[in-house]
Amino acid sequence: MGFVDASSTLINPRARRRRLLRKRFLRRPLAIVGLVVALTFIVCAIFAPVIAPYSASATDFNALLAHSSRHHLLGTDELGRDVLSRILWGARASIEAGVFSTLLAMAVAVPIGIIAGYYRGWIDAVIARLTDVLLAFPFLVVAVGLAAILGPSLTNATIALGIGAAPALIRVARGEALALREEDYVRAAVANGASDVRILIRHVLPNMLSTLIVQATVAIPAAIIGEAVLSFLGLGVQPPTPSWGVMLADAQSYLSQAPRLAVYPGIAIFLCSLSFNLLGDGLRDILDPRTTR
Amino acid sequence: MGGFLLRKAGAALIVVFLSSIVVFIGIRALPGDPAVALGAENRDPAVMAAIRHSYGLDKPLPVQYVKWISKALRGDLGLDSRQLPVGHTIVTRLPITLELAFLAVLVGTSIGVLAGVIAAVRRGKLSDHSATATALVGLSVPHFWLGLMMIIVFAVDLHWLPASGYVSFRAHPLGNLEHLLMPALVLGTGLSAVLMRQTRSAMLNSLSADYVRTARAKGLSERMVVGKHALRNSLITVTTVIGLQLGALISGAVITEQIFVIPGFGRLTLDAVNERDYTLLQGVVLVAATGYVVVNLLVDVAYSLLNPRIRVSGASNQ
Repeated sequence: MGFVDASSTLINPRARRRRLLRKRFLRRPLAIVGLVVALTFIVCAIFAPVIAPYSASATDFNALLAHSSRHHLLGTDELGRDVLSRILWGARASIEAGVFSTLLAMAVAVPIGIIAGYYRGWIDAVIARLTDVLLAFPFLVVAVGLAAILGPSLTNATIALGIGAAPALIRVARGEALALREEDYVRAAVANGASDVRILIRHVLPNMLSTLIVQATVAIPAAIIGEAVLSFLGLGVQPPTPSWGVMLADAQSYLSQAPRLAVYPGIAIFLCSLSFNLLGDGLRDILDPRTTR
Repeated sequence: MGGFLLRKAGAALIVVFLSSIVVFIGIRALPGDPAVALGAENRDPAVMAAIRHSYGLDKPLPVQYVKWISKALRGDLGLDSRQLPVGHTIVTRLPITLELAFLAVLVGTSIGVLAGVIAAVRRGKLSDHSATATALVGLSVPHFWLGLMMIIVFAVDLHWLPASGYVSFRAHPLGNLEHLLMPALVLGTGLSAVLMRQTRSAMLNSLSADYVRTARAKGLSERMVVGKHALRNSLITVTTVIGLQLGALISGAVITEQIFVIPGFGRLTLDAVNERDYTLLQGVVLVAATGYVVVNLLVDVAYSLLNPRIRVSGASNQ
């Protein structure tokens, strides 16, 4: 490190904080493993057409329910489709559902939660009751309803997962806003005559960002498992589009003949959600000093 | 305390009322005209109007809602597509799921609380690390997949347990438990992972609290300190977590019953969607939402019994 570098970090508190966080993150090997594995799954999802040895729907009738071999590393399913390729393609639905449902939940929950916590009073009470109503409908029931009204699809499953994740996020955002509104810098901004919108966007939102990032990292693996559940039940991704949940549903008929068909997709779901959970635990440790572990 | 519970009950009533409106509007948003479905082949406008009139479909929505909800309050949820009373079907299916849920909560709390307490007491030691790691694995593993793996090992390979089906406890007590063992484990381990993490952090908090130091200072045995003082206060957290996990438990019951072919409330929900039986779906969702609110009200009651502070100061909080 040169002299210039050191002085610039001393001058800029943001850069100093960022460097401190990076240093703390690098001291957690499990969080790094989580980050690397999660990124691998994301890369697989994006570049599935390039990486996968076969197309997800290409059938090979000379190799039905085939064992692992040089041609098919993880064997083939009952239609002779390459299992490895289908798992790589299946990452798309999982990552899509995980990321987009979490973004949807954030977009809905954070503004509502901030308004409830910042303004308190009757608006807080109304939002609390509406959150209770949302909680009374578990994501599977919402998904069942959406599938009945709009028909089953990945998009509707994602919406159901987003609605399911929203109540918890509303409560987190509300709690943070409730604490932040008492901070000196928010009071100073009020005294300076800043508008409510400016205070909420410039002062309240940025200061709850680290908590929200941790919450998002924990919501993603839950949504990934949720997508698998919905696709397994036929309420999500529709065959022939590959999805880990659909693969498990298909494998159910071959549990005694070819149990491996049920093993591999499950391991993929497990590793994918474990990686995000490891990353989330690590981020919580470095970003949120209040939680003791 | 009476005031606190009254407020909670009032809030619960409002939530049930709003949920019923959501269910009512949701079903009305479904594609297809019910009059067309009821009229079958007959598309004569006069017949359609007569059908609409006799089912009250020509009335404004608020009037239809009041009629529907007042019947539902008396236990009349209408007839499903097979002309069977929906209320009766739900009442016959619900006990199966309640038994499954009860066993799952039993498995989940005993494993989760025990592991959480051990991890907190032996903080930083090997048993803490292994329990924490197991909980993380438990949070990341898709539990319905665990169910499939159990079927492969214990039913297909070892023939120890039946892979699917259900017999009632009254007809065959042992067979009933054999059929429900794997489903209860699948549903319960998911709960135990969440509970373990919450119990551990609650125990760590209460173990460092002043009253625990006082208890130690006055010479109580470690067992009394942990069991009587620290654990009792941590149970407050555990009760709340169980209430909040109820939604996950309902969702979990649907897929568990699907995998193990158990004719409970969860399968009824899926059947209602697959057969596009909207009256049935409406009743099932209404019962699920009401059940969720009622159980959480009971959790609040238990909460205030466990924690005397809530009865006094909790009333001022939201």
